[in-house]
Amino acid sequence: MLAPKRMKYRKAFKGRIHGNAKGGTTLNFGAFGLKATSPNRITSRQIEAARRAMTRHMKRAGRVWIRIFPDVPVSKKPAEVRQGKGKGTPEFWAARVKPGRIMFEIDGVSYEVAKEAMELAAAKLPIETRFVTRLGEEH
Amino acid sequence: MSGNTTMTAEPRDRAGKGAARATRRSGRVPAVIYGDHKDPILVSVEPVELMRHLHKPGFFSMLMDLNVAGDHHRVLPRDVQFHPVTDAPLHVDFMRIGKGTRITVMIPIQVEDEDKCKGIKRGGVLNQVRHEVEVRCDPENIPDMIVLSLEGLDIGDALRISDAGLPDDVKPTITDRDFVLVTIAAPTVVKDEAAEAQAEAEAEAEEGEEGEDEEGGEE
Repeated sequence: MLAPKRMKYRKAFKGRIHGNAKGGTTLNFGAFGLKATSPNRITSRQIEAARRAMTRHMKRAGRVWIRIFPDVPVSKKPAEVRQGKGKGTPEFWAARVKPGRIMFEIDGVSYEVAKEAMELAAAKLPIETRFVTRLGEEH
Repeated sequence: MSGNTTMTAEPRDRAGKGAARATRRSGRVPAVIYGDHKDPILVSVEPVELMRHLHKPGFFSMLMDLNVAGDHHRVLPRDVQFHPVTDAPLHVDFMRIGKGTRITVMIPIQVEDEDKCKGIKRGGVLNQVRHEVEVRCDPENIPDMIVLSLEGLDIGDALRISDAGLPDDVKPTITDRDFVLVTIAAPTVVKDEAAEAQAEAEAEAEEGEEGEDEEGGEE
């Protein structure tokens, strides 16, 4: 699973995800991609699940690029603990994804295989997504 | 060589984001024509017509005849801005092409004969390093696309710009090296399968343990 190697601060504010993506909105590596159309936090577990779904459907042919990285530590309080007494311990890592962000890219497979693989990957994610292709390419 | 594409545009009066947004609200896409040492002209284009051209291969190497209320301009699309979420075109830049000018333009790469490629038959993966190549050429002789045949290529082989067979007056802007366009990469199936299977088994075992812990915690 993806996680930062080291961090400057152990815990981060929750924050809110406002607005649309400013960069990373176009395909840079592959011919097909999965674009987020709603905002949310994507955990490293979800990224890994989506990657596995894609590579398995593609029979490990072609190539997959992951364009998001989970760099936000998310903390949680243990069960049945009263409020207060400080922030909980970091439990997992998440990527903040804004609408418009290309999360995954695929190349080296046909349009049909790529679309099906992306649909399987999208089912693992907590956001609405759209399958995108490189402009001007015939499929 | 593309040169007979025609498109119609309507002039618009005001510049700025307010006017551009008003144009978009009226269902058209704002655009500008500039270059050739003349004043820029603000225009708007029909989105359906624009999208039809955009979905053709090599839109940015398509020399167009833009009809602006009866005036014909020889233009080359230089940039299209898209909405980050919907991918709808927001603005188009057209550059006027004068006589005797040479231009820098991106040419798309098309790969064919994949079924005749020895490397792909043996389980190799086509790795397209570049989808476009920047070249300098005469506007009248812009190649539609660079067609690369994979016939006879084996795993580990690569096609470079020198293999593209560009016409003499079409020169790539990268001149210091013979850069790679496509390669046939070795399959990752055999060597990764065992490692991945092991990793998956470990991960599943870990997940199982965690799941049990969580259940215990909730009780």
